Amino acid sequence: MSAADDVARMLTLVPWLLERPGASLAEIAAVFAVPEATVRRDLSHLDFCGLPGLGGGDLFEVELTRDRVVLRMAEELRRPLRPTAGEALRLVLTVDSVAEAMGDELPALPRAVERIRAALDIPERAADVVEPDPVQALPVLRRAIAAGQQVELRYQGRDDDAPLRRTVDPWALHVSDGSWYLQGFDTAAGARRNFRLDRIATAEATGAPRGVDAPERLDPPRYVPGPDDLAVVLEASPRGRWVRDAVLADEVVEHDDGAVTIRLRTDAPRWVAQLVVMAAGEVRVAAPTELIELVRGRAREGLATAMGEGGEGR
Amino acid sequence: MSAKVERLVNLTIALLEARAPLTLADIRRRTGYYQADNVHSARRMFERDKDELRSLGIPIETATGPMSEEPGYRIPRRDYELPDLELTAEEVAALALAVELAGASGTPLALAKLAARSPDPAPLPGPVATRVDVQPDAVDAVAGSVLSRQPLRFDYRAADGSTSTRDLDPYGVVQRRGAWYLVGRDHGRDALRAFRLDRCLGTPQAVGPSGSFEPPAELDLAAAVSGPQLAGVRVEVAVRPAARWAVELRGGRDTGRSDHGRAILVLDGLHPVRDRAFLLGLGADVEVLAPVSLREDLQAAYRSVLAAHAADGLAP
Repeated sequence: MSAADDVARMLTLVPWLLERPGASLAEIAAVFAVPEATVRRDLSHLDFCGLPGLGGGDLFEVELTRDRVVLRMAEELRRPLRPTAGEALRLVLTVDSVAEAMGDELPALPRAVERIRAALDIPERAADVVEPDPVQALPVLRRAIAAGQQVELRYQGRDDDAPLRRTVDPWALHVSDGSWYLQGFDTAAGARRNFRLDRIATAEATGAPRGVDAPERLDPPRYVPGPDDLAVVLEASPRGRWVRDAVLADEVVEHDDGAVTIRLRTDAPRWVAQLVVMAAGEVRVAAPTELIELVRGRAREGLATAMGEGGEGR
Repeated sequence: MSAKVERLVNLTIALLEARAPLTLADIRRRTGYYQADNVHSARRMFERDKDELRSLGIPIETATGPMSEEPGYRIPRRDYELPDLELTAEEVAALALAVELAGASGTPLALAKLAARSPDPAPLPGPVATRVDVQPDAVDAVAGSVLSRQPLRFDYRAADGSTSTRDLDPYGVVQRRGAWYLVGRDHGRDALRAFRLDRCLGTPQAVGPSGSFEPPAELDLAAAVSGPQLAGVRVEVAVRPAARWAVELRGGRDTGRSDHGRAILVLDGLHPVRDRAFLLGLGADVEVLAPVSLREDLQAAYRSVLAAHAADGLAP
């Protein structure tokens, strides 16, 4: 952490402490998200701050009794420094995103955002969050999580042909990259799983209590490549570039004409084949052969259906 | 290090307390710092400190007084100080929770600034089930220009891969489905446009003074990002059981059963171009029965996929 970061924190710590004589080190550490040792160091610096001999000015007076802090003679810094434009927009957008995702769960949040916007002069139209796509299963899952109840899902995983029944102990909902996830314990698999809400066909509370509780620390849902994953190379034309945003790429090579080469690993080759077909020829699988075969198979079947073979064929 | 932190805080206090701009000589006298024998190295040290404070957003003004050529410096209190927000204990608690739920992308220091003179957080009514990844780093580069209304210039790669240099009056930023967009008036096209920040090549540069433009009073950022509302068509599909839920989630209504036992669903307002990928993704699980033009379009799309994956030049 640089000296500038320390200064930014201390300029905020002073007015914060002036309002809260007797605050504990632990409390300060939690609010400023730093270790207690850092708080102690800040306090030892503040003992040497203030300007003596300036029209009655004096050094700040820091008193540390056991773990309680009292700061005096620091009226020069009685108010905090304004957040920078970057900090202000970040905060408003962060809080807005959470408010948007939580719906009515926390009514004080939208009011707080309004006050911040007003105080920092951030017009309503300078920053906005478009809500994630609404998901039908959301209210059921929210209620089940709050009540500590099991849910039964019909869920179509990326590599499944049709939705399958899953009994899940639901832990938390997570909005990541604009998509909703349910994190929970899959009772049949006997393991923790993430479920994308837009792949949940139906969700119902079973009425049974949750069997396995959430771990202390719940990391966000992230795809971690495994040893059996398939290494894939995709060639996307300028019009097929969007596929880059749909996958977790290991490497993206830009070409002069706007085309890209994308390298990735996947545990769901059928899902990648689906993406390639969706690109309608603008994305080509360069490797491996088994994925090329999957794509060809999907496209042939799709074409046959679109031609009405074995179907209604009007 | 320790001396430096104290020096920066004390310099801030000296400039805040100054009634008139202070020259470097005044600052040396009042703070006791910058006493190096070599006046140039003392000046350099002061300049570095001043830049570091400015990087924190501390508004150090430069003025030349009537008495001398020497520049003077001060920090106007009204620009430095955050006005009281009068947040309630419930609001502070809600903000703290929101920052926590947003994980690493949260901003504890900004929150501490805002809540410094507000009551301590009230207890919350029980656990909350939602977590949100926001990742607003991309916004930092343009935040200053948006709030101070400064035009920006940047190189941009459009969705079709073409690149061009754009001049923009940045009206605002929007997050949609995990991507950040910069919305404003594109000078070249004289129209409202939205740009994905992750498609800007390099960092956008401010190219004009603050307050160069006024955003229109009736501005809907979300609508600017969503693009024009395209007229949709009524699409009739025959659906295999496996894909039925996906079509229903998209708004498909059941209208009966086909001779082959598949469900017939109707989707209103499907856009034949924009929603084509949705239908291609469902593959053989859906057959478009009407309109015929969409059916033919899908046939052509599947043929393109097969052509792109033709084995060694052999016909698929």
